[in-house]
Amino acid sequence: MRLRKTLRIGLLALAAALLVAVQVKMSAQAGASANPAEPKGSPAQSQRQFLDRYCATCHNDRLKTGGLSLDHVDLSRPDAQSDLWEKVVRKLHTGVMPPNNVPQPPQADRLAMLTWVEGALDTAAAAHPRPGRTETLRRLNRTEYQNAIRDLLALDIDAASLLPADESGHGFDNVNVGDLSPTLLDRYISAANKISRLAVGQSSLQNDVFLLPADLTQEEQLPGLPIGTRGGMSRTHTFAQDGEYVVQVLLARDLAGTVSGLREDRPHELLVLVDRKQVATFTVQKPANGDDTLLDKDFNVRVAVGAGPHELAVTFVKAGASLIDTARQPTESRFNDRRHPRTVPAINQVSVTGPYAPTGAADTPSRRRLFVCRPAGHDQAVEERCASTILSTLMRRAYRRPVAAADVAGPMVFYREARAEGDFDAGIAAALSAVLANPQFLFRVERDPQNVAAGGVYRISDLELASRLSFFLWSSIPDDELLDAAVRGRLSQPGELEKQARRMLADRRSYNLATNFAGQWLRLRNIDAVNPNASLYRDFDDNLRQAFRQETELFFDSVLREDRSALTFIRADYTFLNERLAKHYGIPGVYGSRFRRVTLARDSHRGGLLRQGSVLAVTSYATRTSPILRGVLVLSNIFGAAPPPPPPDVPALDESAVASNLPMRQRLAAHRTNAVCASCHRSIDPVGFSLENFDATGQWRDIDVDGQPVDALGGLPGAGDYRGVDGLEGALLVRPELFAGTLTENLLTFALGRGVEYYDAPAIRKIVRDAHRDDYRFSSLILGIVKSVPFQMRSK
Amino acid sequence: MYLTRKAIPRRALLQSAGAAMALPLLEAMVPAATAWAQTPAKPVPRLGYVFIPMGKDHTRWTPEGRNLDELSPILAPLKPIKDHVTVITNTRLQNAYPGTHDTSNAAFLSAALAKHTESSDYFLGTTVDQLAARELGRDTQLPSLELAMDLNPLAGVCNNGYACVYQNCLSWSSPTTPLPSEAHPRVVFERLFGEGGTPAARRAALRKRASLLDVFVDDVARLKQRVGVPDRVRIDQYLESARAIEREIERAEQAVASNLTPDLDRPVGVPAAFADHAKLMFDLQILAFQADITRVVTFQLTREQSNRSYLEVGIPEPHHPTSHHGNNPEKLLAIAKINTFHMSLFSDFLQRMKDTPDGDGSLLDHSLYLYGSGMGNPSLHDHEDLPIVVAGGAATGLKGGRHLRSEKPTPLANLHVTLLDRVGVHLDSFKDSTGRVEDLFERAL
Repeated sequence: MRLRKTLRIGLLALAAALLVAVQVKMSAQAGASANPAEPKGSPAQSQRQFLDRYCATCHNDRLKTGGLSLDHVDLSRPDAQSDLWEKVVRKLHTGVMPPNNVPQPPQADRLAMLTWVEGALDTAAAAHPRPGRTETLRRLNRTEYQNAIRDLLALDIDAASLLPADESGHGFDNVNVGDLSPTLLDRYISAANKISRLAVGQSSLQNDVFLLPADLTQEEQLPGLPIGTRGGMSRTHTFAQDGEYVVQVLLARDLAGTVSGLREDRPHELLVLVDRKQVATFTVQKPANGDDTLLDKDFNVRVAVGAGPHELAVTFVKAGASLIDTARQPTESRFNDRRHPRTVPAINQVSVTGPYAPTGAADTPSRRRLFVCRPAGHDQAVEERCASTILSTLMRRAYRRPVAAADVAGPMVFYREARAEGDFDAGIAAALSAVLANPQFLFRVERDPQNVAAGGVYRISDLELASRLSFFLWSSIPDDELLDAAVRGRLSQPGELEKQARRMLADRRSYNLATNFAGQWLRLRNIDAVNPNASLYRDFDDNLRQAFRQETELFFDSVLREDRSALTFIRADYTFLNERLAKHYGIPGVYGSRFRRVTLARDSHRGGLLRQGSVLAVTSYATRTSPILRGVLVLSNIFGAAPPPPPPDVPALDESAVASNLPMRQRLAAHRTNAVCASCHRSIDPVGFSLENFDATGQWRDIDVDGQPVDALGGLPGAGDYRGVDGLEGALLVRPELFAGTLTENLLTFALGRGVEYYDAPAIRKIVRDAHRDDYRFSSLILGIVKSVPFQMRSK
Repeated sequence: MYLTRKAIPRRALLQSAGAAMALPLLEAMVPAATAWAQTPAKPVPRLGYVFIPMGKDHTRWTPEGRNLDELSPILAPLKPIKDHVTVITNTRLQNAYPGTHDTSNAAFLSAALAKHTESSDYFLGTTVDQLAARELGRDTQLPSLELAMDLNPLAGVCNNGYACVYQNCLSWSSPTTPLPSEAHPRVVFERLFGEGGTPAARRAALRKRASLLDVFVDDVARLKQRVGVPDRVRIDQYLESARAIEREIERAEQAVASNLTPDLDRPVGVPAAFADHAKLMFDLQILAFQADITRVVTFQLTREQSNRSYLEVGIPEPHHPTSHHGNNPEKLLAIAKINTFHMSLFSDFLQRMKDTPDGDGSLLDHSLYLYGSGMGNPSLHDHEDLPIVVAGGAATGLKGGRHLRSEKPTPLANLHVTLLDRVGVHLDSFKDSTGRVEDLFERAL
């Protein structure tokens, strides 16, 4: 079906262009004859005229351009065709329609038309809300699972090693979470098993291996590591029990197997630190005979560590650190054997094996959270009472609802069985695994009330609302305070809802919106897959990759936490930098690996998302920028005029006719001579071109790869031409409601876990209108969503 | 189950540097007493599918003649094994239209039309590997194994109106159940062999899993009564998954009972080099076959729209935009090099299969593999003249060393039913199939 449609669009775009000449005459006739019944001068007649003049020259019964005819739409009841009218609204509002090669309506007429349609649709929606239907059964995805375990058990797990990746729909990975394949179920069961042992402190001997990224430069101090060190890694590792652990370190080697960076005959001190205390020192030195095969063979140490999370760091002592070193340019990155080799040894892998001689777990955050009581003595009844208390406290949080005695009975069977064979802790661990394997933990369930007819709409329960809130703002389970408010039936009261939402936004857990929401909205997640070509972008390494991510996360979080206007995302006079990133951006005066807020000079070329290395790199290829990827990201996720997908019948462009040495702009221009391509690339390419001053790693350039001055002439639908990123931001800020609306749509998709549909548009308009009065403060968007019809209600 | 008596030295290798980690999982190990060796009656065939994304350089793929005496540049790596492969030309996937990358992946094994949606109402078709698994997987611990190479889920690369499951999941056990694949060697290893330990510990671990599964089943069944009718279908699907896992546990318990404990060292991480990672994933297939843990495998060698650069074969440009070659000679050559590189990985695997003893012959003798793409010419995003290779050893009856070219475009589904026949799954037709591929095998089964 789409095949036919696209062909039609392509052919008819040409036809439409040819018809422009006769358009005025045609529309005048149509205006007079289409709906003779409507009285002259009535509102309906002016809308009819607008449609006839600017729309129906292509969208008529005969041409049906884009599969749409506006010849016979019922102007007395737009809400009867709200899906159609919402499309019209979007095209008119963004300025995508009428296309820029046909006469444009005067701005006042366009606004009048919009006001009329939107007003009619919004009035109808207020009278008959259509909240849509979130799915009844939604399993916790990988991120939600990880966060839920953290909040439930005070335990940091690496869910990526326990659960398979989630697939996205509508741009987010919490949308298609209804199915449960055998593989998924198998992994959830395994995870329940492993996590319960780890939380209680019953895990037996295990081996965890941490590989450092091959392109991590280890010549300087790294974020999170002590001053005076260089390279290595630091991470919080959960030790299963009190006992002894063997930490083994392997050095980075080149392809020939030789230890990298071992140049001269001077010793390098390698440190193993647990909670910043030195537990071992090894000396790395070039062996006399030059054979370093066994150099790191004995780099292992057996250390006694208490159960629970401890900071494990393995790093080198930084020798001869000096400011001269840090001022070195331009080879920041040193990891590549051929191009810019390491000058000092580096760490490849750290493994932790243990516990040996385990003595249980005395005191850990997980145990403090879990064991809300300890049985005094070994009286069976006393123990059972305590076990039951522990489990009901746990299950209330895990199931996100009050639990009854019947709920606890199941896990208690597990408790008793394991208690009979072991101790009290073993019983709790077994019961905990049964809770974690329970669908009431693994699935979010929203159930229809009995008394609502099919197709009817209803307000979701306070408990369901609590889960929607916490999974939206934290991607995790509700905390006790939120749950209490829901249990008392107060959450649905506006004052309380707002109070809770504001409290949750202020909580650190809302950082999840920066990592998880923005990670998908802006595709920051893809940064790990960004691997710029080393011969073209010599300075790229994992340090820079992580700095990109960090900058955008901190920036997003600052808008949230300081409750700034969402328009700050588009234009800002500050950002977050460390020395590595500041050098990459050419911003002086930032020293050290720590990130800090930096107020930007006017000529810094930075500030705002569209100037950040992360966004610019994930929309580039390994060898070059991609104006198309950049254009699509801005149009779809910032501006709100997503171009349709590329047609299935890509025309056979014969590139051999287009000289490959032409600059990118001209090569793309050649593509646009084809009408089918041009219909979309006419709006995509100019947006991308306006960001051409940023190379594939986000560095500013005035000369492009072809040796030509960068031509950053761009254009945005409805805004005309402009130049460079300044111009793009300006064009976006002229109609801030478009960006605010697009951000809201993305937030709403993430909040609901379903695609946003045409019937959500009135709710989105209301959120944006209300937020406008509050300067689009971030909290006004979030609160608007939380109070909206689709968030609070559901269709049966 | 699988025995090894001298695997110990490998521990050092696997746990050392990234490169060493990728050293063969197999070389230090000799199968000591597989179920096969003890029951040489009739070798059970294995069936595997290897998917490559974004089609081929059409100018360097197709062999000239009717046999493989003269190999085309892309097929050249098959030379050492060419008697065991047949190249099939002029197949197509009608139902991959009107989509592009998403449906190239989705239709490859389903030959089905993907419902155009990004929501959870996605609908495709049961894939051929899963139809085979219902038969071949009856007695194995895992009915099938789904493998891939891409570890990171990417945002925003599959939203052309098609949910990401279409582009990323090659295998579907029902039209509504896409199967996630695994790219992490260690996770695959643990799925195959468990977490290890003594037989008693393994048995206890399996019992524990079974009881946790019971918890899940009981509560899901209760939940079913409290939701509306449409949602009960979903819950039935969960219950079906639970039954599959139950079976898996039973099989694993039997393996423990037969007192054959795997004593293999697990791979620790993901090798940095693509070839090393791929080799490890191929080796895991060999291990799974040897231990008879599964007989059906799908392997997505890379996913559609991958932007990987193949520096190892001198291609710094990313794969996807390069594949929009527009007949530009440089881009075509780059695609050819990527195609050739992927083919060399497959050829190496086939050779290792051939060198691995199994029953009265080699593992390759008792295996059939289909290798190919759901896209033909990537510059057109078409699904015509797909690059397709069938590999198999003596016992499968495959007539190797040949190039079968049909005059008219033929549905890929014809090949699917032909291969399914060979493993004892007989379908009258499958999706758009119009018959069988004639003359692919020596004799009727």
